[in-house]
Amino acid sequence: MTPNIAIVGIETPHWRMPRLWLPVFLLWIPVILLSPFIFLVLVVVAIGLRTNIWRLIALMWGIVCSLRGTDVHIRAEGSQVVVRIL
Amino acid sequence: MNENRRQILEMLAAGKINAEEAERLIAALEDTPSGQNATGSMAAQPKNAAKYLRVLVEAEDKKGPTTVNVRVPMQLLRAGVRLASLIPAQAHDKLDEALSQHGVPLTLSQIKPENLEELIDHLEDLTVDVNAKEDNTKVRVFCE
Repeated sequence: MTPNIAIVGIETPHWRMPRLWLPVFLLWIPVILLSPFIFLVLVVVAIGLRTNIWRLIALMWGIVCSLRGTDVHIRAEGSQVVVRIL
Repeated sequence: MNENRRQILEMLAAGKINAEEAERLIAALEDTPSGQNATGSMAAQPKNAAKYLRVLVEAEDKKGPTTVNVRVPMQLLRAGVRLASLIPAQAHDKLDEALSQHGVPLTLSQIKPENLEELIDHLEDLTVDVNAKEDNTKVRVFCE
């Protein structure tokens, strides 16, 4: 299943951004609209890598679908970055 | 038929125990978890597979504490490993050469996708704990 929400938070000693809940599922709209162009780019990449286009698409799809559950939390020198994919 | 049950039936056939005792023994065998182990029914159940790889780093220096807490889905590792199959064969020689120059004598063409899958599967048993007392750095890598 593809990711639905991404939570991004950035904090520095001088500035703090409120945690953003990004509706990643809305990206499907531009992705569908741009799908012919994206497909062309993937065809060029597949030719460049001398691999099968469908195999490349399957690999990309696998990576996108497995992104759910990724959680990155880094704090250093008073700054903090949080990225969470749900 | 499992070994314990067969032994009980053999004892019954040999006349060492009567039917009532055999029934009691078989009932006791079915009630105990060890009896289930003997049948292999428990062994057939898969263990809880780890879903995430967790990397925790805690360090402290003059500028203050630094913490890194990263959770990566095992599925993402698997998908990333499959990307290696996209590396063109022509690039293998150059990569091998570059790796050996940096002290990693590795031949990429010898690494098969199934080997990498096996490696990811065995990561589930991995736990790495590093404590560096000089600079108060702690690193933990484990699956959960």
